Amino acid sequence: MSNIKKSAVYPLLGIAVSVFVLIFGLITAAKDNRCCCIFLAGVFIVFLLTGFHRACLRVILPALAVAALFGLITYLSGRGFDKALSIGLRFIAIGIAVIPGMSIRPVDLTRNLNALKVPRGITLGMLIALNFTPLLKAEIKQIREAMKTRGTGSIINLKILYRAFLIPLVMRLVNISDTLALSVETRGFTLEGNDVSVYKKVSPRIKDGAVAALIAVCAVGALII
Amino acid sequence: MKTAAELKNVSFSYGEDTGKILDNADFRINYGEITLLSGDSGQGKSTVLSLICGIIPNLTPGVLDGEITVDSESTKDKPLREICRKVGVVLQNADSQIIQQTVEDEIAFGCENFNFSPESIKELIKESCEAMSLSPERQTRTLSGGQKQRLITASTLATRQKILILDEPLANLDFSSSVQLMKTLKSLAENGYAVLIIEHRTDLVADYADRICEISGGKVYEIENTKEFSQSKTGIIPDTAENMNSGETAFSIKSVSFSINKKEIIKDLSADISKGDRILLMGENGCGKTTLLRLLARLYKPTDGEIIQSILSSLKKGKTSKEWFRSVGVVYQNPDYQLFMPTVRTEIEYNAFSKEYADKMIELFGFSSLESRHPQSLSEGQKRRLSIAAVLASKPRVLLLDEPTVGQDYNGLKKMTDILNAIHKDTGNTMITVTHDKRCAPALCDKAFLIENGTIAKSGGKEFVEQYFGITEEKQ
Repeated sequence: MSNIKKSAVYPLLGIAVSVFVLIFGLITAAKDNRCCCIFLAGVFIVFLLTGFHRACLRVILPALAVAALFGLITYLSGRGFDKALSIGLRFIAIGIAVIPGMSIRPVDLTRNLNALKVPRGITLGMLIALNFTPLLKAEIKQIREAMKTRGTGSIINLKILYRAFLIPLVMRLVNISDTLALSVETRGFTLEGNDVSVYKKVSPRIKDGAVAALIAVCAVGALII
Repeated sequence: MKTAAELKNVSFSYGEDTGKILDNADFRINYGEITLLSGDSGQGKSTVLSLICGIIPNLTPGVLDGEITVDSESTKDKPLREICRKVGVVLQNADSQIIQQTVEDEIAFGCENFNFSPESIKELIKESCEAMSLSPERQTRTLSGGQKQRLITASTLATRQKILILDEPLANLDFSSSVQLMKTLKSLAENGYAVLIIEHRTDLVADYADRICEISGGKVYEIENTKEFSQSKTGIIPDTAENMNSGETAFSIKSVSFSINKKEIIKDLSADISKGDRILLMGENGCGKTTLLRLLARLYKPTDGEIIQSILSSLKKGKTSKEWFRSVGVVYQNPDYQLFMPTVRTEIEYNAFSKEYADKMIELFGFSSLESRHPQSLSEGQKRRLSIAAVLASKPRVLLLDEPTVGQDYNGLKKMTDILNAIHKDTGNTMITVTHDKRCAPALCDKAFLIENGTIAKSGGKEFVEQYFGITEEKQ
C-alpha cells in the first residue's frame, strides 16, 4: 500500500496557495509587469523544487503558448508591448496557480475536509468534480472511437455531432450520475450529519510550512525588488 | 434458518398506467444461506433487489403494496441509508460506480461512511482485496471491465453487512474469479450471512446455492428440483455452424507489443488468423483480450511489431477508414457508446448493407415489435443485442465481439449464439469473440487462444476450450 503517491502539499494549504498566487499574480500583472515576472518566476522555481515538478512540466508549455497568443493579439491590436506582456502574464499566473491543485489527490482533499467536519455534500461534490475532467476525457475518447466503428462521418458535421456524439455523451453522463448516486447511497453515504471516519489522516508537514513561507518570500521579494 | 429479508404479498408497478412487475409475490432470504434468484430478462429480478434494499420507494417511485421486512423489521418509511446499514448491495454497471482513483481508496469509501476505525478499514481492505484478487495500489482507471466488477464487489464485501445482495456479480468475471467469488460468498453464508444472487450465469452459481428461486409472471417460485432446473439452464449450447476457414490469411500478427503508460499489456504476441475462422479469446480479467481486439480493429497501434491485414488491400498501413469499419465490425463491451439513432429500426438501418439486410437483422434479433422504441429505453440485454444487430447489418467480413453475451438470459444466450453462427455460415465472416461464458464458448469457436500476461500461452480447438472451462471433466 506504500506505493500510492501522496499529495504534494497539505490539501487546504494547496488551495490557499493557488488562490494567493492567482490573486497576487493578477494584481501585479495589472500594475507592475516586472514585479509580476519576478513573483511568478520565483513561485515556479519553488514549485519545481518542492515536489510539484510533474504538474509544473505539464502546465508551463500550454500556459506559455496561450500567454504568447493573447499577448501577440494585444500587441497587434496596437496596445503596446507593456500591455501585451501584462495580458500574457495574467495567463501565466492562471497556469501557475493551477499547479498546486493538480498535485492534490481528490481523496486527500475529501479526507482533509471530512476531518474538519465540512458538510458531506460539499466534500462528495468536490470529489466528483475533481474526478469529472478525466472521466469526461475518457468518455469522449470512447465515443469518438465508437463513432468511427459505426462509420459515422466527421464530427464537424453538426447533424453527426448532435446525433452520434452529443446524444451518447449525454446519455452516458446521465447513466453514470444515476448509477453513481445510487452506488454511493447504498455504500452508506448520507448528506446528514452521521459520523464518518477518516482512513488516512492528512496532516500538515514541515514541508508545507516551508512552501507557504517560500511563496510569501517570493511575494515580498517581488514587491521590494 | 432465521429470515433475513422477506417480501409478503408484494405488488409493484413503476407507474399508475404500467403493468404490475410483481403481483402478490412472496419471497424470502435466510441467514446462513445463498439464494439464487433466476428468471428471464425483464421479469423483475432487479426490482426485487431494489425493494429489499430500499431503492424502491426511496429513490425510484412506483405503486407499492404489501410488506417488506429486513432483519424482521418493516422497511416502510425507512430511509435508504438506514436499510443499507443492514443490506450490502452490488449493483450492475461497475464501470459507472467507481469514484476514487485507487483500489484502496475505493474500498475505504464505504468503510469510512460506516465510521469504521482506520485499523479495521486497513484490515478489511486487505481481506477483500485478497478475496477478489486485487492489488490495493492499482489505479482504478487502468482496471479492465472484469477487474472493475471485482472492485465494486470487494467494496461491498468490506462493509460487512450481514445481508448481501448481488446483481449479476459474475457478468464480466473470468472463470476462476467467478469460482473464487462464489467460494467467498459460500464461506460468508456458512458464517451466518444471508446472500442473494441475481445472475444469468446459473452454471456458476447453482452448485453453491442453497435455494434457487425463479421469478416469472410477477410471482417468485421456489424451485423444488434444483438439479433439473440447473441442467435446463446450464447446458452447453451446441455448435450449429460449419468450419468456413478459407485457408487465406486475414490477419498476420507479428511479434506485437502494446503498452499504455509504460505498462506492457500485449507482449511479443504472434498469431495467424485465417479468413472464415471463428476464434475465441480466453483468459483472466485484465490479461489483454480486449486490447488484442482493439489492435486488430486498428483502434490501437502496436508499440512494437505489426499486424498485417488482408481484409482491405487498398488500406494504408496503420490507417483506418469508413470502408475499414464497414469490413471490420466491432461490438463493444458497453453498448451505450454505439447506439445513437432515435429508433431501433434507424439504428439497424444506419450504414446497413441494404434495407433488406437490415430488415433481416430486425427479424433475426427479434426487434420487430420494438422497432419504433428509442434504443436507450431498452433493457441492458436488449441494448447489447441491438448493438450486435446494428454492426452485423453492415455485413462485415470480420466481426470482433467483446463479451457479447453479458446480461442475456439462457434463452437469449442460445438465440444469440445461433444467430451469430447462422450469419457466419451465411457470410463466411471471420469471427473473433471474447467470452467467459462456458455455455456458449465452445459453440462460438473453431480455434481458441488462451491469453496470459499479454501473450498467447496456449492455443487449440474446441476440445481445448472444453478442457479450459472444465466441460470435459463434467462430461466424464
